[in-house]
Amino acid sequence: MSGLLTDTLITGLPLVPVYLGVYLVLRIREDFDLTVEGSFALGGGVCAVLIAHGHGPWLALLAAVVSGVAAGVVTACLNLTLDIPVVLAGLVTSLALFSVTLRITGQPTVSLVGADTVATSLFGEAGRGDAQQIAVLAVVVALVLVAFAAFLMTELGLALRASGVNAEMVRAQGVSERGLVVLSLALSNGLTGLGAALAVQTMGYADVNMGVGTFVAGVGAVLLGVLVFRPTGSQVARIVLAVLVGTLLYRFLLVGALRIGVPAGDLKGITALTLVIAVAAQRFARIGLTALTRPTSSTSASVQTPEGTPT
Amino acid sequence: MTDYDPTETPALELQHVRIVHRAGRPDEVVALRGIDLAVPAGQLVTVVGSNGAGKSSMIQVVSGAVRPASGRVRIGGRDVTRRPDWRRAGDVARVFDDPRKGTAPELSVEDNLALALRRGGRRRLWPAVTPRRRVLMREQLARLGLGLEDRLHEEVGSLSAGQRQSITMIMAALGAPRVLLLDEHLAALDPATARRVLDLTAELARDLGSATVMVTHNMEHALELGDRLLVMGGGRVVADLPRALTRAMAPADVVEVLVSSGESVSDRSLLAATEAGES
Repeated sequence: MSGLLTDTLITGLPLVPVYLGVYLVLRIREDFDLTVEGSFALGGGVCAVLIAHGHGPWLALLAAVVSGVAAGVVTACLNLTLDIPVVLAGLVTSLALFSVTLRITGQPTVSLVGADTVATSLFGEAGRGDAQQIAVLAVVVALVLVAFAAFLMTELGLALRASGVNAEMVRAQGVSERGLVVLSLALSNGLTGLGAALAVQTMGYADVNMGVGTFVAGVGAVLLGVLVFRPTGSQVARIVLAVLVGTLLYRFLLVGALRIGVPAGDLKGITALTLVIAVAAQRFARIGLTALTRPTSSTSASVQTPEGTPT
Repeated sequence: MTDYDPTETPALELQHVRIVHRAGRPDEVVALRGIDLAVPAGQLVTVVGSNGAGKSSMIQVVSGAVRPASGRVRIGGRDVTRRPDWRRAGDVARVFDDPRKGTAPELSVEDNLALALRRGGRRRLWPAVTPRRRVLMREQLARLGLGLEDRLHEEVGSLSAGQRQSITMIMAALGAPRVLLLDEHLAALDPATARRVLDLTAELARDLGSATVMVTHNMEHALELGDRLLVMGGGRVVADLPRALTRAMAPADVVEVLVSSGESVSDRSLLAATEAGES
């Protein structure tokens, strides 16, 4: 059991920033950004190459963030200058990023066995132990979550939170929609780059294909977290908690499946299944919950009807 | 009511504004056919007209949602014709016809108000809701008499249409806009709620001293509130009636002007209608 928890934390914590980015675009902006698949591999590759060339693990972390931000800005520019929808723009960027990442790493896989990590930079060789790695990851992730929550509570973060729900109103309040597109995609992919760098340092290698499935896995994890915490736009603490718990829950399921002897090749199937179950539970629970908590409110019911249908 | 100095720069000015939708195509529609309008600060203009008269187009061209094919839009003397809506937001506040449009339903009352507090200003990396701002929000919400000042943390989506529209009005008033646009903002409310929001409208318009343009289908409201009444038809202003003229008019008289507005209406026929209404 303790091995199960250790594995969950070591493989799950690096993904918390990544899925925070997914939450930002998916739930706050109500859009789909597939750039994360490419920027995850890119961030991992950049981090691995820098460490392999003898640069410090913290610098590698920073560089991974910057590369992720750049990837997000590319998608935003495709969206804003050519009017390509964010979904498609992200798909195109992540496709291109495969080649870019391969150029940067020079080979499909970069091994970091025995190389410095953020944990060894603090603990020395003891930093290769599970407890030390988890401690460092936990601190970094906690800082990211707190900073993200604080950002959401600023004037800029507030504009971002409102923009997904009511874009017209946000424009009427003097906020540039274009600016928010750039900001959200840059931030989301920067977080993805950071998470990828953390993952690479704990796994001990980077792979050009490591980003495949990141988006869907992120959606699954986010929906799991939302199911547990039901955050609304103004409940910032609940938002970051939902992402943290959703990510760990999702990883717990995968690690648990491996432990009971499910072949590794079936994990993608389990990811897909998790997502479907989360969506189904979401639907069912939402209807159940509104029926329970607001039996008389007509506004809450009408808000949920799709745009354009007469209410 | 109040006299306005014609030499003063109007808060809102439209010059020969034309709006053409789908220009150059067979189904081209001319929404506004050269509107001229000057609204001084502090004046409340009510606008009536049948569907397709150009009322909403006029609102949109002032808010910046639509750019005119030709003509100029000036706010406080400054030409804003080429500015998109979000860059005019510091000067222009809007209240929409749909109560759900003016607020973000998933956000709390205080978050919605905080969003409006920075309207037109730069959004900074600074807490959006501070204790000082909360005091100001409570003060403003207390004017409504709905008890919303004690419900700052509640989601706006859980409030009634009337409460949401009242909050939108308060949001519009925060940040003292030069121009306040009310686009049939009472249309979706029940009569009692509409009455309350209407009283709030009159109060805010008076306090703000902004140029207010209120589009309505309700002739009584138009006559009661307006310092000036515009009757629109076919993309033109067919009658521009000062308070002195409308004071004696009944809703039926306005309807008559509306009905006959297929053609432009002369002042004389209007006076006739007014007299008929009195007799």
